Amino acid sequence: MPDGSLPPTLAGLLERYSPTGEESLAVSWLVTHMHSLGYTRAEIDPAGNAVGMMGEGPRQIVLLGHIDTVPGEIPLRQQGDLLYARGAVDAKGPLAVLVESVARLGVIPGWQLVVIGAVGEEGDSVGARYVAGHYLPAFTIIGEPSRWDRVTLGYKGSATAEIVIRRPMLHTAAGAESACEVAIRVWEKIRGWAEEQNASRSRAFDQISPGLRGFSSGTDGFAEWANLHIGARLPLDLSPKNWYERLERLIELPPPVESSLQPRGFALPAFRGDKNNPLVKAFLAGIRGEGGQPGFVLKTGTSDLNLVAPAWECPALAYGPGDSSLDHTPHEHISLTEYRRSVEVLCRTLSRLTQPAQ
Amino acid sequence: MSHVNCPECAAEIVLEAGVEAGEIIVCPDCGVDLEIISLDPVEVNLAPIEEEDWGE
Repeated sequence: MPDGSLPPTLAGLLERYSPTGEESLAVSWLVTHMHSLGYTRAEIDPAGNAVGMMGEGPRQIVLLGHIDTVPGEIPLRQQGDLLYARGAVDAKGPLAVLVESVARLGVIPGWQLVVIGAVGEEGDSVGARYVAGHYLPAFTIIGEPSRWDRVTLGYKGSATAEIVIRRPMLHTAAGAESACEVAIRVWEKIRGWAEEQNASRSRAFDQISPGLRGFSSGTDGFAEWANLHIGARLPLDLSPKNWYERLERLIELPPPVESSLQPRGFALPAFRGDKNNPLVKAFLAGIRGEGGQPGFVLKTGTSDLNLVAPAWECPALAYGPGDSSLDHTPHEHISLTEYRRSVEVLCRTLSRLTQPAQ
Repeated sequence: MSHVNCPECAAEIVLEAGVEAGEIIVCPDCGVDLEIISLDPVEVNLAPIEEEDWGE
């Protein structure tokens, strides 16, 4: 059992299992908790996000974490310095760091620090899509695991598509290529194109990474079809729109075979922030101030940073404790030492960022 | 105008007016990224390494 010395914000969030779509209890608890921590205002916004505001501005910093997790409850347990629970890394640990750091700093004249525990990040980011249209911050910090001594500068984009290959039924003895065989050939063509493009790209962040996530087929007696469910992680120079256009060209087939493509879900372009801005500088100083050797990281996944950074057009990055290789795994855990260091780093960073110009 | 030597190739680098601590500059000789650690005295280190990771 966890002992009583656990950071209350972290423990409170981890005790409340909140997979995507079932965040309301955790959101209510966080809003009440932010009131008790002295936030100027705390409320649930129309999208269902937990929002806490410290100060009145006029300048604003948005610290956006997410309160939902992937499904699969891992009961909270402590093992020495490690705390196991669903969301410990992705991303209640980082969210708790945002909440606790802002509470510790209190009101900073001239600034409003907005901490958001967004819903739906593991789904279609309904919470972040709402906030993207409702704030205009000077700086944005996304709460995601980077490790206490690194900052995440960027994430790849993502786009999913359903491709249908359809052809008139033929007797199997006719020797013609079936819809399933054509679909496999189409998938190989897509993969081959990506490999060709990637030949000169050494970093995974710069590569086009398509994946075949599902395959199904059927017939109604007159036609047969095969469906390919294709996801892709996209680099900075390939937008979802251009990826879909490329796919359209790659799936062109001669009659009587027909092909069609439908984008699925909510596509996001890749994002990479600048290294030379006041936000990054403040983090580098904050990490060094805690005795760390700072590092930068580029992620091959996607986060709410991809969504809000282009909308807000301000310096933006992601930060938080935790090893993201534990994201979505049954072994998800966070180090309490690392958690506490991250709070110290973020407090130093925010203090530096908000200090009056000399 | 401040001068500093690149810790990688020892080239002399002239810092432009208005540079700040924490800023990343590029060594004109060897092309390595350097972080300005302090301005008084002027000190530069190799800039943080860019790593790759998966997630979220």
